[in-house]
Amino acid sequence: MTFATTSPPTAPPKKAPPAAAEGPSENTPWVFYGILFGLLGAFSILVWGPIGVSGTYPRFIGAIMQVVDPAYAESNPYLKRMGSLFKPETFIVIGLLIGGFLGAKVNREKAPKCEMIHKGETTTNKRYRDAFIGGFLIVFGARIAGGCTSGHIISGITQLSVSGFIFAAGVFATGIITAKSLNGRRAAGV
Amino acid sequence: MLVPFLSILIGVAMGFFIQRVRASSPGMIAKNLRLENISVIKFMALTMAVGMVVVYSLSLVIPQLLHFDVKPAYVVGVLLGGLVFGVGFALSGYCPGTCVVGIGEGRKDAIVAILGGVVGALAFTLVYTTLIEPIVGIANLGKITLADVLHLPSIVVALIVGAIFVAVIKFLPTQLKKT
Repeated sequence: MTFATTSPPTAPPKKAPPAAAEGPSENTPWVFYGILFGLLGAFSILVWGPIGVSGTYPRFIGAIMQVVDPAYAESNPYLKRMGSLFKPETFIVIGLLIGGFLGAKVNREKAPKCEMIHKGETTTNKRYRDAFIGGFLIVFGARIAGGCTSGHIISGITQLSVSGFIFAAGVFATGIITAKSLNGRRAAGV
Repeated sequence: MLVPFLSILIGVAMGFFIQRVRASSPGMIAKNLRLENISVIKFMALTMAVGMVVVYSLSLVIPQLLHFDVKPAYVVGVLLGGLVFGVGFALSGYCPGTCVVGIGEGRKDAIVAILGGVVGALAFTLVYTTLIEPIVGIANLGKITLADVLHLPSIVVALIVGAIFVAVIKFLPTQLKKT
């Protein structure tokens, strides 16, 4: 029954009422795009390899270090191992930027307002604080594990990698606990 | 030049899909992690179910054309990384890819999340040799798949896991709690 409620955008049935004061609909065409994304991941493995994003961050650091302090860039074993930015992953990241822009443009969406996502986020600055600390942790955590949502979870589990299942278990364990506790009564005062 | 060109196209499509299912909305991610609306989790599960059946079906026919790249399962490091990632995922509502998509659709907090990510990558680079390298060596099972563990053909495991994912997707309601 869940499949029926989220038909592809081309199919006519039960279109949600035009996004009213509530903001954009929560009823997204995830079935349609989930199938397409699965095929896209397989296509990527045919073309060059599995999709991955988080490795681009340290490669970007490496590229900056090559300019700022070339001696350090050459001596750091991790930067050496990650290599240069001239990799398919980097082009995928550039593509993500364009894809996000097109997704919003094609559907004539205005730039989304800043979403306050936890009870404690009473001001824009508090949202930025959470975005910054969270952004730090996702990349730091992804680099410990050797991949992120795309590399470990999507591409990893697609290949049935044991590492992908372990990573996903860790992510959803703390992800769910953190999200729920930030929504708790005590979090409102933070 | 074909691979860079195709990689950009893959990225554009991926960014488009992520934007359309609102996975680049931090509010939507928070709803998913609070288990109020699990449409993005279902989107991911369906992606993986379709992907695994397709790639392992293809590997029966054209194995030489596929570029599999299984990441090593160093259990302690991968789990620890996942636990750290989960906290950041819930806090920011972004992952390293969706914040790039978020910038594309004009989200300012996505820019802040990327800045945090760049600082995180720098910090990681600085502490890699002293703190990280030792962890990565513990309990390293190597580049193994579930098919290796179960001693079954990959396509069989892909069909079983894919069927389980689809069954769970069908069984669980998407909107678990009205917000």
